[in-house]
Amino acid sequence: MVDRGIGLGRPGWRANLDIVLTVVISRLKIVSRYKGMLVTEAFLPIIFAAFPLMLGFSIGGPNAGANFLRNTGATGVADVDAFYKLYMLLGACTFTVVTLMMWLIGYWIRREQETGTLESLYLAPAKRFYVLAGVSTYAFLRSLMIFVIALSIGSVLFGVNPLAGNLGVAMLFYVAGFLPLWGIGFIFGAFIMKIKEANSVIQLVQWVIAFLMGIYYPITFFPGWMQYVAASFPPTIMNDGVRSAVLGIGNLFGGEWWVPFAVLLTFSLIIPLLGYEIFLETERRLRRTEGLGQY
Amino acid sequence: MPEPIIKAEHLGKTFISKERKKGAKRKKKVEALKDVSLDVFDGEVFGLLGPNGAGKTTLIKCLTTLLIPTSGNAWVNGHNVLKEEDEVRASIGCMLMGDRGLYWKLTGRENLNYFGALYHVPKVARTKRTQELIDLLELSDFIDRTVETYSSGQKMILAFAKSLINDAPILILDEPTVTMDVPTARNLRALVKDLNRQGKTILYTTHLMHEAEELCQRVGIIDHGEIIALGSPAELKASMKREDVIEIEGIFPGRVIEDVRGLSGIRAVAVKAESGGRSKLAIQCENSRVVLPKIIEALVGDGSSIEYVKPQEITLEDVFMAKTGRSLAVDTAAVGKAEVKGAGGRG
Repeated sequence: MVDRGIGLGRPGWRANLDIVLTVVISRLKIVSRYKGMLVTEAFLPIIFAAFPLMLGFSIGGPNAGANFLRNTGATGVADVDAFYKLYMLLGACTFTVVTLMMWLIGYWIRREQETGTLESLYLAPAKRFYVLAGVSTYAFLRSLMIFVIALSIGSVLFGVNPLAGNLGVAMLFYVAGFLPLWGIGFIFGAFIMKIKEANSVIQLVQWVIAFLMGIYYPITFFPGWMQYVAASFPPTIMNDGVRSAVLGIGNLFGGEWWVPFAVLLTFSLIIPLLGYEIFLETERRLRRTEGLGQY
Repeated sequence: MPEPIIKAEHLGKTFISKERKKGAKRKKKVEALKDVSLDVFDGEVFGLLGPNGAGKTTLIKCLTTLLIPTSGNAWVNGHNVLKEEDEVRASIGCMLMGDRGLYWKLTGRENLNYFGALYHVPKVARTKRTQELIDLLELSDFIDRTVETYSSGQKMILAFAKSLINDAPILILDEPTVTMDVPTARNLRALVKDLNRQGKTILYTTHLMHEAEELCQRVGIIDHGEIIALGSPAELKASMKREDVIEIEGIFPGRVIEDVRGLSGIRAVAVKAESGGRSKLAIQCENSRVVLPKIIEALVGDGSSIEYVKPQEITLEDVFMAKTGRSLAVDTAAVGKAEVKGAGGRG
């Protein structure tokens, strides 16, 4: 058989890096062309935080902050109202990051299917890993932007200072928490690729996640068995780690900050690999049965 | 002896489709490809012809690694489609799903850059190639607008440009002119000929027989997932040399086709077009001089109104008709109508 080479293609690490960068830049261009999208998204966590705050103040009145502080078991807090507000704001911001990652990575394949570009992607020799790395990096950058903007604006509106705690450790938790989210996004993406209908699943799952990761309360309020379930879920550890670092309170595992961080790092190694394998297996199965373009 | 650059051996593809009848769900096996074997030779334009739903796109999807065949094997540019997927993909420039394979919120230039990166084309080469394609395909008027603002013809020509971004040795075009206006389609066919002259092998699927006759050195006719004829257009037409084709236009009652089919010396009868009660019959027969009076007698006897009688040159359409007993144009329209009602994707 004849082999005529591959034209202009030059595979290699440079080409792979180029794929990641091109995907990130193209995605950022696309989202920037939906006017006002990022600004709207940045206000969502502030609104999410405002709900429990308003409820708390309407029930507890001026003692709302003190009641909340007493029930969480935190000690050594000077400004109880600021603690209460920042607790809610951080929970809402982290939840927005988690849910945004689920949508951007998990729904990515479905969106490509709906727009008809999925087959174009699969016709190209680019390894899916690098395309997904580009999509995930874009998701990370976008959610980081939302996190920073929402936390900044929210802090001004609520009159709190998010810089008082250990912001460096908080960012470590944020970055380490991103990797398992990447893996969960793959698993989610595989599931959506199989069942086709994504919206209702994501809607349901995101609120289950919100419940489990304790965006408005410490998970110590759960019954014992449920605490174990919640604590084995990486976004819970991420949320707890960010919050304990910024607010200067104890963490879920009761020890130094690096204990939950080490657990989160372990998840960071296992879940992306597991997720990617599940994703590839689902993809292979679809190519054997109905085809990737079917939607 | 030319060497194959694409080779399919006994390819089969079976889908399990779900049917809903009277509230009950049933699984049904659909054989989209049945034991398809063919060679596409290096440097030729090979036409894959057949009505919608015949299996053209399924075959293309198997050859481009989008689908894993249920049985058989295939090689593209010396690489196995089951084991060397990335090498196969890198060897092909592909236009499969028309304008649906583009990002509408990106400009044409950004789309070409994006897909160039996915084909591992280095940045500098990509920029140069993009400019070459803009000049070649005359895209400069709209290339820096977002695709959402393009007309369907502009989207199709951009999709064609996308298939050329990696300058691959093999080009696979799946009904590329389907939504193009006549002059744009003519230009595209001229470009296909040029690209072939430059050495590219082109696999071109269409249900338009005149396109195949104009472009292809060899054609394969596919129907119900099987290759039913394979050869150059001249060879295929020569295989019917001893047969004449007569075209008769008029108004015909329902039973007339069966009556004409029953006459001695008739090979096949098909309705080529129908509109406003008028039909065009294409009749293949052994010797038109002998058979024509009998046909006219039968038609008049059945109450037909004959408006025009024309002996015809044999075309690929007649080859299809002789092999299947159906007209491609009518078949395609019928499947098209079924698809509009929600029956599924393209063939």
